[in-house]
Amino acid sequence: MNVKNHLLRFILFSLTVLYCSMIIPGCSSFFIRFITKSFEDLPSSPDTVATKIAHPIFQNVGLSVLWVGHATCIIQIGDKIFLTDPIFTETAGMISKRRIEAGILPSSIDKLDYILISHIHFDHLSYGSLSMLPKSTVMLLPTGGAEYTPEFGFSDYKEMNPWKTFESDGVRITAVPVKHFNGRYGFDGVWSNYNTFTGYVIEYKGRTVFFAGDTGYDPEKFKEIGRKFAIDVALIPIAPIEPHDFMKHVHADPEEALQIFEDVKAKIMIPIHHRTFVQGLDSSLTTAQNRLKQLITERHLEDRVLILNIGEQRILVP
Amino acid sequence: MLPKRKTWRTTSILLVGIILLVGWQNVNAQEQEHGGISNSWLIMQAVPSVSWTSFPTRTHFSFEWEATPVLYSWGMTKLDPPVHFFFVTQPERFAGSIEFNVSTQLYTSQIGTSHWGFSGQLLAHLPLVERGEYVGLNLGVARYNIAGVSSNYIVGGFSTLFGFLHYNIKYSPVDKIWMHSIEFRFF
Repeated sequence: MNVKNHLLRFILFSLTVLYCSMIIPGCSSFFIRFITKSFEDLPSSPDTVATKIAHPIFQNVGLSVLWVGHATCIIQIGDKIFLTDPIFTETAGMISKRRIEAGILPSSIDKLDYILISHIHFDHLSYGSLSMLPKSTVMLLPTGGAEYTPEFGFSDYKEMNPWKTFESDGVRITAVPVKHFNGRYGFDGVWSNYNTFTGYVIEYKGRTVFFAGDTGYDPEKFKEIGRKFAIDVALIPIAPIEPHDFMKHVHADPEEALQIFEDVKAKIMIPIHHRTFVQGLDSSLTTAQNRLKQLITERHLEDRVLILNIGEQRILVP
Repeated sequence: MLPKRKTWRTTSILLVGIILLVGWQNVNAQEQEHGGISNSWLIMQAVPSVSWTSFPTRTHFSFEWEATPVLYSWGMTKLDPPVHFFFVTQPERFAGSIEFNVSTQLYTSQIGTSHWGFSGQLLAHLPLVERGEYVGLNLGVARYNIAGVSSNYIVGGFSTLFGFLHYNIKYSPVDKIWMHSIEFRFF
């Protein structure tokens, strides 16, 4: 009996030490500060978008981009409609609060050909948002995304390994490597066997659009993309920035976003993944945008880097 | 009410039937590169879930190590095989599934009075909100052996917070025992 009690005490003591070793570093980390910040914002309502475009889909257009907010963009090339990382819900993953409404109502998307999912984090693979979208669409996922994607009734689903190209009806969509991190719930990123994140290059009717998804800076990857494609428009994330020592490995800041823009040799850059949700520990929602504006002025990039408002649609090629 | 031995036989037949009937569907899943058991996953399985279980006499804190020998998922796309052995992601479980799981518990209410428990459960997860990530319903049957005493239970409860937090009620119709548990689960 004594041996059994000693064994049980030893196990309980070991487990207590194990949990303390997991919890104590976590409490002092930016994660807890981020959670606290997010909870403070939960009761507030998101700011409204004054004018929402009621009909964002054209009969035909050379190339247009509508920034819905965060990494959600409606890209139209000719008669094809592409939607990136759709999120229309008021929170991402129950906790992270939307600060500005989605730029359009999901019900205004009456035609949709492709949904591109860059990775499986809550703010990019939003179950509630995907449920709101038209069903006659093909959903493209990163490698391993199928294990995290419930059935939404879409007409088809494709998992895209790096450099894999999906072709249909003249459309070419290639998954391209970017730099981010795995998992959806935190701990599950640790045991992933491969990278569950990607960027995409869309080619149709002589136009090429690069959607970087969510990425840190990796010169080799982006220079390779620049060598392989003649990109017209690059949608590149610019936030969150802080805490920089952590974020620099997985999120490009405005300086790095401009470096990506240069590496992929795109003609036009549109910044994404900012101003919409509480992210990281950035002092305000406009921290990244303000820094980017400053850099644009210093480098005389006013004609090539277009900062859209949430809900703004820009026709780049009529 | 079924005698205990007959209940177990019925459960076993059900389980084997489920495996045989649905196992072939994996063949129909579109062939993709899928994750699975990695070394880091194996190591993390050593980290137990924690729970508070209220018995008629007292409430126990417990650590629990759980394994899922087989799970049939019906809520995922055609890219994901419906039958999973041991390695299961949260959406595969909470977007709609039925699983057979086994677990070992270490119950304690005070140091020196701890004891082991063992259980097997046939449990269905039904998604209620956000494909079960926000709220899901758990329903099933279980057999628990706690401190050498075995009983069969009917299980019902809810999960939330992406399946990490569970509240389950377990009732043994034969022994008239109620158990309530709040479980913080790692999988």
